Amino acid sequence: MVTYIARRLVYSVPVLALASFVLFWAVRTTFDPLAKLRQSHDPTVLARETARLGLNRSVIEQYGLWMKAFLTGDWGTSTRTGGAVSAMIGSALGSTLQLIGWGVLFAALLALAIGLYSAARQYSAGDYAFTALSYLGIAMPPFWVGLLLIQILAVWPQQQFHLAHPPLYFVGLHSPGHSGPDLDYFRHLVLPVLTMTVGLVASWSRFSRATLLESLTGDYVRTARAKGVPRRQILVRHALRNSLAPFVTVVAMDAALLFGGLVVTEQIYSVPGMGRLFLDSMLAGDVFTLVPWMFVVAVAMILFNLLADIGYALLDPRVALR
Amino acid sequence: MNHPPSSTSAEPARSPSGIGIPLCAALGALALGLTACTSGTTPATTAGTQQQQSTAAVRQGGSIVIGAEQEPDCADWFGTCGGSIWGSYIMETPTIPQVFVVRKKGSDWVPAASDLMAAEPTITAGAQPRITYKLNPKAVWSDGQPITSADLKYTALQVRDGKNIFDKTGYTEIASVDTPDPRTAVVTLKHPYGNWKTFFSGEYGVLPSHLLQGKDRNAVMKNGYTFSGGPWKIQSWNRGTSVTLVPNDRYWGAKPRLDKVTFQFTTDTAAAFQAFRTGQLDALYPSPQLDVIDQIKQGLPGTALQTDAQTGNLEALWLNDSRFPFDSVDVRKALAYAVDRKAIVQRLYGPLGVTSPNQSFNSPLVSGYAGTDFSQYSLDQAKVDQLMRGAGWARGSDGIWAKDGRRARFTIVSLAGNKRRELTEQVLQAQLKTAGFDLRIQNTTAANLFGKVAPNGDFDLGLWTLVDSFPEPSLDATFSTSAIPSAANGQTGINFIRARVPGLDPLLRQVANSTDDTARRSASLQADKLLAAYVPSIPISAVPNVLLWNKRVGGPIAINPVEGPWWNLADWGLVK
Repeated sequence: MVTYIARRLVYSVPVLALASFVLFWAVRTTFDPLAKLRQSHDPTVLARETARLGLNRSVIEQYGLWMKAFLTGDWGTSTRTGGAVSAMIGSALGSTLQLIGWGVLFAALLALAIGLYSAARQYSAGDYAFTALSYLGIAMPPFWVGLLLIQILAVWPQQQFHLAHPPLYFVGLHSPGHSGPDLDYFRHLVLPVLTMTVGLVASWSRFSRATLLESLTGDYVRTARAKGVPRRQILVRHALRNSLAPFVTVVAMDAALLFGGLVVTEQIYSVPGMGRLFLDSMLAGDVFTLVPWMFVVAVAMILFNLLADIGYALLDPRVALR
Repeated sequence: MNHPPSSTSAEPARSPSGIGIPLCAALGALALGLTACTSGTTPATTAGTQQQQSTAAVRQGGSIVIGAEQEPDCADWFGTCGGSIWGSYIMETPTIPQVFVVRKKGSDWVPAASDLMAAEPTITAGAQPRITYKLNPKAVWSDGQPITSADLKYTALQVRDGKNIFDKTGYTEIASVDTPDPRTAVVTLKHPYGNWKTFFSGEYGVLPSHLLQGKDRNAVMKNGYTFSGGPWKIQSWNRGTSVTLVPNDRYWGAKPRLDKVTFQFTTDTAAAFQAFRTGQLDALYPSPQLDVIDQIKQGLPGTALQTDAQTGNLEALWLNDSRFPFDSVDVRKALAYAVDRKAIVQRLYGPLGVTSPNQSFNSPLVSGYAGTDFSQYSLDQAKVDQLMRGAGWARGSDGIWAKDGRRARFTIVSLAGNKRRELTEQVLQAQLKTAGFDLRIQNTTAANLFGKVAPNGDFDLGLWTLVDSFPEPSLDATFSTSAIPSAANGQTGINFIRARVPGLDPLLRQVANSTDDTARRSASLQADKLLAAYVPSIPISAVPNVLLWNKRVGGPIAINPVEGPWWNLADWGLVK
């Protein structure tokens, strides 16, 4: 296992190198690194920054300099804020990881439960209801879901029950003066997590239902039934266990996408995460943040791919990691 | 000073335009000195000049949370990263002392000496005027050190000589700063400079030399600073989340009533309004985008609202005078007659009580320097036809004007995602099609628009806002030929439209340089006449400001068009 992981990590180096160059090239040719400075009234600033940042060199040379600094921990300075890019990405990553962690956990458990129910009661009224709801969940755009949830779970209860404060908050992850995982934190967390999980639960529950149904048609399930194994035991110990491996793979792959894919959710709930950082940097043409940002997301994709493979192997002994 | 558009999709930064960056020099205008106010759920429907103030008695202590729709990039107000108007509102104004503040006198907002000064600064006449500043002996920094003439000298030289300075306008005219005693500073200018009151005022206040001299100012200040010479101190700035202010105990003026004010960054307008409705936010100062106006129209029970069109933000239709077909005065005039500006203004801001277009490029903030010469241009198809035919154009089979095989087809550029501007463009498109012009829309990001497209003159028509950040006229930055981006000005000029109006430069120079206000006003009015005669571009409307607060909050709450709605935050409090 350790050898496998090490080998996969080594294999990922050229992939990351190629990806980083393509990203660097694409960003540099798409955005003007000095766009913000062009609005300065200081006529000397452009020439000075061009020289300081090495923008008069070829893209390959610039990439080499950037990668060398990046590998030594110098991720550069944001032209937007003047701050260290590594600190900005670290801070944003922290917020996004909180949403991803809670959201993926909640969505995976709920999707599994729904999938289990739907598979066990295929073509029942409940199964049809969950099917309809899942299509609805997939179809609803996150910004609409977010505003709807705010109205239903925060604004409406406060107005209906004449509460001094809404039961759930929706600005940031803490109220002023609060920090850490207290009740205030969870009151802030519920709505953004629900918003991001609607779509995840909808698609994952469909997937878990399908894999469970496939497992339920397997010979080993027929054998277990013939042997008189109780239905609940067949579902949980045989079918569910066998369907977990592909489910975990899908969850891991989708979770990786969330690192850069929560732009809308973070925007609605004013969460200073990776999505907002990307948006702010893109609007400001802050290439020195965009490139490392994309690199971090690429690394997350590769790591979660690896995690998916490892998880698959752990859950399915038939798969050997070589 | 007058700045160009800013970098976000919202309203201005500290320069001209709803494009957020300071390019401003001062556009002023007369036309709409409208301030309409309402409370409760009824939006303003008529133009007026009254301002609503909360008259409820307030108590000492308590805290409030205010929604801030933009987060500043950094808190080094002098640096190139510091050009955020929201940074000025929520951190700079409450903490950095200024020589002149902007206060209302009669119906106008004017510069007034602040309590930092022992007396009104004076300026001598002559080729090299000298400005004398006498500081208030009670004025101290939050660490107890007095605010001295050395601080003024440090500030002036930082801006004049520093690197990566956001805007050096005016400071490059400073020849020397003398400090005959700790409470007296004398600034000698190289040449007469009309907007001398912007020194240590407007976008730049006074910084503490004893804390910054010999240090990297940007490094000390960019993430927030602990010193203060105003009524508030920055307690914390959590990036992406909030800024918290607490009272500066050493402030020599009236102390704040509140114990704490938190500005919470709210990036989604709809969610911000819901947070305001539910009491998570006590006040909002949203850009007057379409969704904001919709929210106000829907009603906000238990809240107060002030709208104010007497602003320094002027939305205009910018024509590239160096490009076909706008290199023709007749075509520019025809376009001015083809656009129904009144209909656009009523569609955009009618619910806020703003119903008339601006008739000058001087914004309402500097209305004393503005004429009404553009009032000659209103929708008139007969004049469009007359001007176009007179210039040799004829309408083709598709109804579009053409001349020498070239059709009157052009594109308009503004900020992608700005719904108000997109609507304006769509209305313009329809109006111009009727008049025989083929308008295409091609929007982009703020960074691209103001970093590349506009400076390079790579546009036909533009739609953005010019921002006056101080009540002094400064159209020279936008219309003088020396401000056309060129190697001579390091490509930093903001005459993006390449305007070359005969006879305009001397007038604008007089407005900029004269220290005789009567002469400045006269020259400014003459400049307005020339601008209307040559139509280098077309002013549309002031962009009104909107302030909402809930009834929990009281005090003399009112918008200051330069310093923002929190200029008198020290007087705000919780209602008893």
